Amino acid sequence: MEALSGWWDDYYWGSVVVLKVFVASLFLMVLFGLIGAAAKLSNSPVAQKLAGAYTVVFRGTPEILVILLLYFGSAITLTAIAQVFDPDIKFVDIPPFWAGTFAIAFIVGSYATETFRGAFMGVKPGSIEAARALGMSNFQTFVYIRIPEMWRIALPPFGNHMLSLVKDTALISIIGLNETLFVAKQAITVTGKPFTMYIFVGLIYLAFSTFITMAVMALEAFGKRTTEGAR
Amino acid sequence: MSFDINLTLESIPRMLGGVGITLQLLVVSGLLGLGLAIILLLMRLSKKPYLDWPAQVYIYVMRGTPILVQIFIIYYGLPQFDWIRSSVFWPILREPMGCAILALSLNTGAYVSEILRGGVLAVDQGLSEAGAALGMSKRHVFIYVKTPIAIRIALPAYSNDVISLQKSTALASTITIADMMGIARNIVAETYAPYEVFVSLAIIYIIFSTGIQKAFGLIEWRLGRYERRNG
Repeated sequence: MEALSGWWDDYYWGSVVVLKVFVASLFLMVLFGLIGAAAKLSNSPVAQKLAGAYTVVFRGTPEILVILLLYFGSAITLTAIAQVFDPDIKFVDIPPFWAGTFAIAFIVGSYATETFRGAFMGVKPGSIEAARALGMSNFQTFVYIRIPEMWRIALPPFGNHMLSLVKDTALISIIGLNETLFVAKQAITVTGKPFTMYIFVGLIYLAFSTFITMAVMALEAFGKRTTEGAR
Repeated sequence: MSFDINLTLESIPRMLGGVGITLQLLVVSGLLGLGLAIILLLMRLSKKPYLDWPAQVYIYVMRGTPILVQIFIIYYGLPQFDWIRSSVFWPILREPMGCAILALSLNTGAYVSEILRGGVLAVDQGLSEAGAALGMSKRHVFIYVKTPIAIRIALPAYSNDVISLQKSTALASTITIADMMGIARNIVAETYAPYEVFVSLAIIYIIFSTGIQKAFGLIEWRLGRYERRNG
């Protein structure tokens, strides 16, 4: 444990980076998932095909490959573009934070697409008909009937997607994001205590996972407040 | 910047040279993980606190931490202790391949045991009562009644986990293993052509995961034949 002293603040800032990646990728993941689900449920065959390709590609490709491709691919493209304007520029890249955040959001978004699609299909037809009978518009039905029913169905798998996002953050350290695993690598070169440092990183991620799991459980209980024990 | 088709054609055979290692990682850790999952499942189903609790904690920790951190703890972390270097396990833990297989098996075992548990719990209670009424012992009911049905229920989720495992094998490249991903990273380091190499590797992985999905689809179809005969 004494090896950790002097590294607390580095781990703290590393954890802040994990949290930032989580918040940004969560937002993007929900966005990609909803767009994908909307495309799959739409009547347009083109949109369905595109969304189908999206889920096949990102569910079949290793996370590390997507992260490396997005980071180095964007760097090489941006450098080529920059060199058109100024031939002296040697290297331009997207910050690892954003390349990594987009990469994991694309991947987990492809899983979320299936979750949201299934959840929207799980909304009871009777509820929709009841809304129609009450004279609700399509938009009102969506906001007051479909969304409240669908998020309850989507929540358990969605909790797993959030856990995936947090755990995939560790992979972004490979392209140089200074999150906790990256901090541990630096600490090891100084202290020579790899076991202690990596176990501590594991504990930090376990704390994040525990927090998310508990938040999801609380939300599930909140979602059930009107359906259970109300008979 | 241009897409160099010759480089793609040259690098695909080189990357396929790592197919053996990727498959070895997938099959060996898949089987070891399945064995571990069955042990964990029986511990959890035993309802004895001293067996159930350790299994629950193990699953919680393994699912709550990133697989990359687990790989690093085993490969870089364990040699911190002298007693591990002098133990009988050192010949395995000294090799990156042994560490990768160990980490992947320990990780996938935790996920698969939850999938199997879901399958067992989903078996209709009436069937085990029917078994008991026929005078079968608890063990017989479990082996001959519950297990075959639980396998059919758990198979779709299990196939997803095999695909996840296949994606995780790419992380072995972070501990110097020359699987397909490791070879691709070497080629990119030589040529600095991420698009040509990584996109073709992504296609190879997608073909792989589609193949796994198709194979499990066939097994599901075969196992479900009794339902079609009457339906």
